[in-house]
Amino acid sequence: MEVSIDSLSPQQLAGLKKQLEEELEHLSSSFNQLAAVQSKFRECLRCVERGVKSSSEEGDSILVPLTTSLYVRGNISQSDKVVVDVGTGFYVEKDTKSTVQFYTAKIQEISGNIQGLEGMVEKKSGSLQLVEEVRKNTSRPLKKQE
Amino acid sequence: MAEAQQRLQALSEEFQAIQKDLQNLIASRQRLEAQRQENAGVEKEFSSLKNGEKIFKLVGPVLLEQEKVEAESTVKGRLEFITKEMTRVDKQIEEIQAKLEMKKTEILQIQASAQGGGSQGPLGDAPKGKAAAARGR
Repeated sequence: MEVSIDSLSPQQLAGLKKQLEEELEHLSSSFNQLAAVQSKFRECLRCVERGVKSSSEEGDSILVPLTTSLYVRGNISQSDKVVVDVGTGFYVEKDTKSTVQFYTAKIQEISGNIQGLEGMVEKKSGSLQLVEEVRKNTSRPLKKQE
Repeated sequence: MAEAQQRLQALSEEFQAIQKDLQNLIASRQRLEAQRQENAGVEKEFSSLKNGEKIFKLVGPVLLEQEKVEAESTVKGRLEFITKEMTRVDKQIEEIQAKLEMKKTEILQIQASAQGGGSQGPLGDAPKGKAAAARGR
């Protein structure tokens, strides 16, 4: 399976370089998406921990956004339960403790994914550098020959 | 020579069309994988549900309460469907890759025969000049 990189022709090297660059781009866009999702979960976790769990009691008033610019006053009728989006259109009503657990687990899961992705990005950029070097080294001696 | 070139042109167009099909298939395969992951996550969440935790389903703009059994069977059904779709798409990808490989060898054959014919003709040293130009780049 493995082919020595020195045995490739300049065209093949250019192709390899392009392929690696595309892969790297794809990986880093995935990386950004994961980071965005993780920060969203962090925000949810922060809301549950600081907003709902510690300070609010039943009957606390709250402004409910109807649109992004229109609010109505409301009261929190149940402050120890929240409804969590678990994906694919399903929502689960949980108490704050298991909500915190849920988001912590999600954040950790994404951290694992991000770490895996980081490793892959590193490996790919390493290969890309190698290809670039070989490209430089092979093009020079050939020029001298002519 | 012109005939070979025309044939080559047609083949390379076919090759590119197949390549596009392959890319589309790979994209739908990726979408399926993402959906599978999401549904698997929901299934896992349902299985670790505690007593008294209610499930709601988003229907249009409203949340409707749903029985756990019903929600679980929905997700299970989706997962089954997705797995089936994935094997179907995998098969298609394999087929199209084989097709691509066939076209590639066809193209290479024509190129080789065209070059072989060219070197016997009066422009015998043309390929050499091309190679030198390529090296100079």
